[in-house]
Amino acid sequence: MPARDDSEPAVTAGIEARRLCLARGGREVLRDVSLVVPAGLVTALLAPSGAGKSTLLRCLNRLVAPDSGQVLLQGQDILELEPRVLRRRVGLVAQVPVMLPGTVRDNVLYAIDEPRPDQAEQALRAANLDPAFAERPARELSGGERARVALARALAREPEVLLLDEPTAALDRDAATRIGETLRELADGGLAVCLATHDLELAAAVADRRAEPLRVVP
Amino acid sequence: MSQEALQVVAAAGFALLAVAAAWALRLGLTRELAWAALRAAVQLTVVGAIIALVFHVEVLAFAFVAAMLLTAALTSGGRLRVVPGARRRVAVAIGVPALAAVGFLLLIGAFDATPQAAVPAAGILIGGAMTAATITGRRLVEGLEDEAGEIEARLSLGDDAHTALQPVLRRAITTGLVPAIDQTRSVGLVTLPGTFVGLVLGGASPASAARVQLLILLALLAVELFSALIIGRLLLAAVVAPGERVEIPH
Repeated sequence: MPARDDSEPAVTAGIEARRLCLARGGREVLRDVSLVVPAGLVTALLAPSGAGKSTLLRCLNRLVAPDSGQVLLQGQDILELEPRVLRRRVGLVAQVPVMLPGTVRDNVLYAIDEPRPDQAEQALRAANLDPAFAERPARELSGGERARVALARALAREPEVLLLDEPTAALDRDAATRIGETLRELADGGLAVCLATHDLELAAAVADRRAEPLRVVP
Repeated sequence: MSQEALQVVAAAGFALLAVAAAWALRLGLTRELAWAALRAAVQLTVVGAIIALVFHVEVLAFAFVAAMLLTAALTSGGRLRVVPGARRRVAVAIGVPALAAVGFLLLIGAFDATPQAAVPAAGILIGGAMTAATITGRRLVEGLEDEAGEIEARLSLGDDAHTALQPVLRRAITTGLVPAIDQTRSVGLVTLPGTFVGLVLGGASPASAARVQLLILLALLAVELFSALIIGRLLLAAVVAPGERVEIPH
């Protein structure tokens, strides 16, 4: 099912990419790609590896600038937003989450100027992690724990949109299922969740809708 | 035989000894050693002749220093060519601190304002700045690639581009200054540096040779620090794109 056709109205709650094109080093990465991620739903972005899923997600929080096209957050062009504010509102969890130096708490509260006393614990709970994790050295965590801390780190910024780039690629089935359940709960709480994956089983279990806006550009 | 002739014969003798040993032991280095020795002989003869000319015609000193700076920028810039405008950036990072230091030393009268003093001092400081700029720049470019995930994580969490790049920059500058710090720390214990040896061989007292050497060494420390800082800033300016983005050069 395509993410949207031209008759579909713009979403006012969530994030939307319109007709993005991007070429890098003479290679076309995105060709006329559109995507809608509505609030309150998990949208699965299904495409094979190398189809440009990561690049598309990074266009949504301006880590990558498309050559043409537009991205709207809650109906507003993201170019009108201060990039640092945009990236807090549109959280990104990378495929291989990099832990910054220090504890889990340092990671979760990184670049938050005046955190509330329980902000780290709350974010850890939202990512289904024991708050006791807060004092663990972040770089000593396992892959599954890192994925959850990366999720908590994004959630601590109280984002409106959560983008996940193959979040379960390095995890076993149980850990992947638990991450999927957490995403389901977050979407039920009103978050717009976009799950880029090639894991059809995970997508079937978690996603409300499937977006297949990406064509592999030869 | 005159002392001059003896020096040339002894130098050739050492080269032949090394080449003969490499040949006898089948190290596969015979040609390389012979070629390096020949190159050194030709280069030093040519440079000696040019410097003799520079010492006689003072205005040529400026051209000679400019040529040293250009060569340093081309050498260092070649190692950083993945970054757009690398040679231009590295010329600034080497030239500004090195020439400022030479100007300062001449201005306060630490050296006589003659080509004999200014050209070698400029050469040493430009050479040091080139080493610091090259190592810092290389480490920075490698760091941008190796630590792309960490940089992206920091950006995603709300850092501006310059803040996100600070850890990579700091590590690059630290690495870039290792040779300068080690050289300063070990001076006199591990090696006798060139300025000291040259002055003593030229007839200066060990005390005055040590004083000049100290001045050059400590000037080098400052010049290399500023060279590393400037190349760091200029390279980061090339990779930070509008919208707090970082475009990693490939």
